[in-house]
Amino acid sequence: MDLEMVKYLAELGKLDFTDDELKKASSDMTSIIELMDKVKEIDVTYDALADNKNIYLNDLREDFNEPSMPTEKVIANAKNRDNCFVVPKVVE
Amino acid sequence: MELKNSSINDIRKALDGKEISVKELTDEYYSRIESADKKLDCFITLSKEQAYKACDKAQEKINKGEASPLTGIPMAIKDNICTEGVKTTCASRMLENFIPPYNATVMDKLENEGIVMLGKVSMDEFAMGGSTQTAAFKKTKNPYDTNRVPGGSSGGSASAVSSDLCTAALGSDTGGSIRQPSSFCGVTGMKPTYSRVSRYGLVAFASSLDQIGPVAKNAQDCGTILNAICGFDIHDGTSAKVDVPDFNAKIGRDIKGLKIALPKEFFAEGIDDVIKNAVLKAADEYKAMGAELVECSMPSLKYAIPAYYLIASAEAASNLSRYDGIKYGHRTDKKCESYDELIKASRREGFGDEVKRRILLGNYALSSGYYDAYYGKAMALRQLIRKEYNDIFEKCDVILTPTTPTTAYRCDENISDPVKMYQADICTVTVNIAGLPAISTPCGYDGKGLPIGMSVIGKPFDEQTVIQTADAYEKNFTRVLPNID
Repeated sequence: MDLEMVKYLAELGKLDFTDDELKKASSDMTSIIELMDKVKEIDVTYDALADNKNIYLNDLREDFNEPSMPTEKVIANAKNRDNCFVVPKVVE
Repeated sequence: MELKNSSINDIRKALDGKEISVKELTDEYYSRIESADKKLDCFITLSKEQAYKACDKAQEKINKGEASPLTGIPMAIKDNICTEGVKTTCASRMLENFIPPYNATVMDKLENEGIVMLGKVSMDEFAMGGSTQTAAFKKTKNPYDTNRVPGGSSGGSASAVSSDLCTAALGSDTGGSIRQPSSFCGVTGMKPTYSRVSRYGLVAFASSLDQIGPVAKNAQDCGTILNAICGFDIHDGTSAKVDVPDFNAKIGRDIKGLKIALPKEFFAEGIDDVIKNAVLKAADEYKAMGAELVECSMPSLKYAIPAYYLIASAEAASNLSRYDGIKYGHRTDKKCESYDELIKASRREGFGDEVKRRILLGNYALSSGYYDAYYGKAMALRQLIRKEYNDIFEKCDVILTPTTPTTAYRCDENISDPVKMYQADICTVTVNIAGLPAISTPCGYDGKGLPIGMSVIGKPFDEQTVIQTADAYEKNFTRVLPNID
């Protein structure tokens, strides 16, 4: 896998690599994709309709009110907080 | 009194018969952890304060004659299962300081039963690995040889049960993460049918494959734990609305006439001879008990590893996108000018190499231009694998396979070679792909004295027969316990 593809995938996954790490990731991904390419040897097609019976789809629960978790509990694991989540400025 | 290597049943009798109090029992387990865990590195967090509070409650229940099967039983919990007020790290820097504000459904159920949670045990980071060596902290060792891996990702659970640092544990299994470490550590571990156990509060890796299950001293203990943790849960949209039977109800029933399938691909090249021979010997013992052995085939097994890694990584890439450093999880100390900078720096510092590889692979499989060739094909293979299992189960009751292609390997092996690490999952991943129940139980030891595990795979929701079959073998098998002194 070339470096440009790794950079593109890293951007999709919001990952940040140094140049050396990119080279290592590129080499690892090349061998991993070789292993994944095995699936290309077989001619099978996915049938989404056939899968419906295997998945509990559209079995939604009743909509009802429940007490919410208190704010302080919700934000207790945020490192930067001020009775709310604090983020860098996102609008110019 | 001495209760070394006791099962849940043995401890139940001792507690109910007032031979030992819950506090004395808890003290004994903590003293074992104190001396042995320095060598094994099973526990990431010890929850002593909560444990001793649970002791008092459990003792009260016992004194009133209201004990449930798990009341007072000392258990360890894999560190990807949310425990309110007790750190849940997923063995990742990303969640190093995460204290869940709520309990996973399984924890509510176990607390209701009155277990004593001794602490949280290590695992591969975010359950991605089969060695517990991708853990950011506490790279657990195998009690049979501390230079070897305990397997993974539930390596902390299996090593702790094997070395008797807890009576039983919870693990989670996405591609073999309960069964493989149970095999490496010589204990019994069970992955229930997908949707049997609520995943609410299990930190998500691959949501269509993940399932919580027990690691214990024997199959019956696995059934006892399943009895407590299974059932429909409104908080998990994939949880099954099916009856929860007594999973141990068929234990002791004659297995005469039971049809056991042996798919030839699981006994082919790539599986060590010592393992093949041990599992085939176990098959012969089943035959001697009156079971019927049936040869069969699973041709799609050769595609199972890529199919599994494509599906699991695609789901992981999506699930792990929630870690942005803002709501919870690691947030970089660097001063960041933008959201993009903050999230990238936090994820860079928080995730280990294997987690990053899986995110890259998942995004590759899902990205436009590659989706049909990889993810679409993997989903088609998932249907094919499921069909092949259905065909086998038309003619058989259970399937018997090795759990792993080798016994426990050295801690420095495989870790730097992801492809080798992925290929080691060949015997376990198809069960997750098809959503089936399976148990791994020891069936021998190799020349170095390392445990060999065999897997009994069952029809969907037929955990009872799986447990019955494993128990029938265990009754005539003598375990060799590890010596960690």
